[in-house]
Amino acid sequence: MTSKRRTFLQLPQGTEAFYLEEAFRHRRIISRLDDLFERWGYLPVHTPVFDFFDIYRGLLGDAALENVYRLIDREGDLLMLRSDITLFLARQMGLALRKEDLPVRVYYSDVILRHQNREDISKNEFFQAGVELIGRAGKDADLEVMVLLLRTLSALGLPAVMHVGSRIIFDLFFADIEEERRKRLEAAIAIRDTKEMAQLLDGWNVELIDFAVRLFGYIGDADGLNRLRTQGTKLSAVPKGVLAELKRLSELSKTLAKTTARGSHRIDVSEIGTQPYYTGIVFQAYVPGQDSAVASGGRYDGLLGFFGLSAPSIGFSLLLRKVETYVDANGEDRIPQAEKATGSTFEEKLASADIIRKKGGISIL
Amino acid sequence: MTTPRPSQRLTIALPKGRLLSQLLSHFEEKRVSLSFEDRKLIAEDKEGMFKAFLVKNNDLPTYVNHGIAGLGICGTDVLYESGHRFLHLLSFSFGRTKMCLAGKSAEEQISIPPRRLQVATKFTRFTQDYFHSRGIPVQVIKLEGSVELAPILGLAPYIVDLVETGDTLRANHLKVIETLTEIEVHLIANAAFYKLNYERINDIVERLRETQGSKE
Repeated sequence: MTSKRRTFLQLPQGTEAFYLEEAFRHRRIISRLDDLFERWGYLPVHTPVFDFFDIYRGLLGDAALENVYRLIDREGDLLMLRSDITLFLARQMGLALRKEDLPVRVYYSDVILRHQNREDISKNEFFQAGVELIGRAGKDADLEVMVLLLRTLSALGLPAVMHVGSRIIFDLFFADIEEERRKRLEAAIAIRDTKEMAQLLDGWNVELIDFAVRLFGYIGDADGLNRLRTQGTKLSAVPKGVLAELKRLSELSKTLAKTTARGSHRIDVSEIGTQPYYTGIVFQAYVPGQDSAVASGGRYDGLLGFFGLSAPSIGFSLLLRKVETYVDANGEDRIPQAEKATGSTFEEKLASADIIRKKGGISIL
Repeated sequence: MTTPRPSQRLTIALPKGRLLSQLLSHFEEKRVSLSFEDRKLIAEDKEGMFKAFLVKNNDLPTYVNHGIAGLGICGTDVLYESGHRFLHLLSFSFGRTKMCLAGKSAEEQISIPPRRLQVATKFTRFTQDYFHSRGIPVQVIKLEGSVELAPILGLAPYIVDLVETGDTLRANHLKVIETLTEIEVHLIANAAFYKLNYERINDIVERLRETQGSKE
């Protein structure tokens, strides 16, 4: 094999190309999502492919910092490629919007670029589609975005379950713990390592440790969470704000249960947010057969303020490429059969094709 | 909205090698009957709980990370080297061992911090992270096996390896200089798989949990 040929065969990690039927289906799915989002009153936005790295440095978590692609422009400034649309969008919205424009509802669907290990090729995190509701705080805004995510997953025919938690519970419960230990607690909760959690809380009251371990491991419905909350009220060291947020989470879940399909969501207190900018409700959606969440979202009330416009916001993003293979069941997104135009000359073939196309068919010359 | 149906069996990856017999006998004790027929790499238990895959120890995290197996049983050494993040649902008392720094028996105790440590090991990620976290520069030489040969043949003065009894070290005139960490065997889960099957998995965790003091 020639070295030139070998060069062509190499594919960089963190990006992809797709063709023909796959690309057709991809575009059809996006079109269906665009239509759905617009019917909910969301307007399209496009974000730049790269931006200055320093602007976002403080907003990137450790994993994001490792995976983001950086490059240097001709003036020597360090740039980063778009690895998370919400971040880039927040900056654009922070620049473009004024207080009187709010609330604003936007949607997007675009490529993201971030490093992916060779061992992680099935992650398929190359394309995000999602919405952001900017300038609305409160329960109804939280519900609007979560219901829209469930409707989106439903429209795509995905057998998904959304797990709903809250960053507030974690932040308030561990407010007095130093940052390094808090980071380790966050990691222990994420991997459900109860032993490590208990060790990190060494020095706390035993009952409080037991409550914390059970609380941050809780998955279930509103009634179960309420029972846990009642136990929490008996422990004076549990911050009042935690109890209030548990009540709120439980109320949100009850409304979701009334307005969405049975079994389509669960309360999951171990969901404490995948991005450092989340400040409130957080959620992730899972689909059988997928190795990680296919969609994630949450409230980020401080992010736009970082870019100059103080506005409470909430949104979600769906990793579209992860789910596209599931979306073919009803054939809606398959390439329709094309009819061959008849005739012996180009003019005759074109006329024949035009007749077929006028009737709504597809014709090739 | 379509909600997910629980699949018939939970998928679990089990490691080939010496840990397997200990695992299967623990399963047997807990009334989970799982046996791999001659040369077969896939088995199902009689109760319909598991579909088990027999995989190479080092490949196990890859199968679980990709969700091919939703669960897995594996040592912390292998998990750490994989770099992937999994849910840690249960630790077992069997299969425990130690990750140690070893060198020639005549070698003096390392004065910390040395200028530069040269270490031969299979566990490159762990070795690098461990010594860097202590502020010690380390040069790591990757070996796949028979690591004890490295100090004898002069490839590197030290090795980082798993030590159970220390017999192999002694037979090769080496000694443990320092125990770096304890290695435990864990039941791990792919996070997405757990979230979708958490009730069934929690039941299994309780069933497989060792009674306190049983094997400690």
